[in-house]
Amino acid sequence: MIWETLKPALIFPGAEAASYEEVFQQVGGALTAAGYTKSTYVEALIEREREYPTGLDVDGWGVAIPHTPVEHVNSETVIAIAIFKNPVEFVQMGTDDETVGVRIVFMLAIAGKPGEHGAHLDELQRIIAIIQDTGLLQNLLNAQSAEEIIKLIEEKEKTL
Amino acid sequence: MKKKVIVACGGAVATSTIAANKVVELCKKNGIDVEICQVRISEIQSNLPADLIVTTSKVKRDFGVPLITGMPFISGMGVEKTEASILKVLQG
Repeated sequence: MIWETLKPALIFPGAEAASYEEVFQQVGGALTAAGYTKSTYVEALIEREREYPTGLDVDGWGVAIPHTPVEHVNSETVIAIAIFKNPVEFVQMGTDDETVGVRIVFMLAIAGKPGEHGAHLDELQRIIAIIQDTGLLQNLLNAQSAEEIIKLIEEKEKTL
Repeated sequence: MKKKVIVACGGAVATSTIAANKVVELCKKNGIDVEICQVRISEIQSNLPADLIVTTSKVKRDFGVPLITGMPFISGMGVEKTEASILKVLQG
């Protein structure tokens, strides 16, 4: 399950950023510093977000799921989570210019072979179940520590 | 007759995996024989013809094939309406 693979060092409660580029530098930078993603990861996140935005308005809660093609990720799939004190403007997925204020970011570093489709379906479905649960999103916003965030996700996954 | 659905997103890694699975489940539930082709947006053209295109990213081009946004499968908002539109195309 996802909660078992979450790493406290890659979970950022109380984060602050003025733009999505800053979010990517902070969170993506941490993934790269920890060796999970390549030096090209942050730039790839920014480039992809411009073309294919990942902001979501989930019934009023702003969530983003930035990710890159697998080439920018090393061998292990990992997820970093950041909860922002103030909303950061993202463009909504599937639109050109509709923005959403995002406070919860699930950054997916998805590993695999280029061209391989349908991998990680189970993990992706779990992530989707998490971001569609607005009660859980509210609890994530209130969480004070990485451990608390992992616990909330553990509790959610046990209901799936 | 088998229906071909192209499911596309930016990288064919994350959101299209979710959307493709939802389309498969929906078709199974409704007895529709479906072939899914999961690709990047830039690869749609070379995978035509198809009965339907489902994307989780904006697509401005007209491929001459019905195109439905699969975004609700990600956000959870408006799933029923999207499923109804997909069924309408595939059963119509």
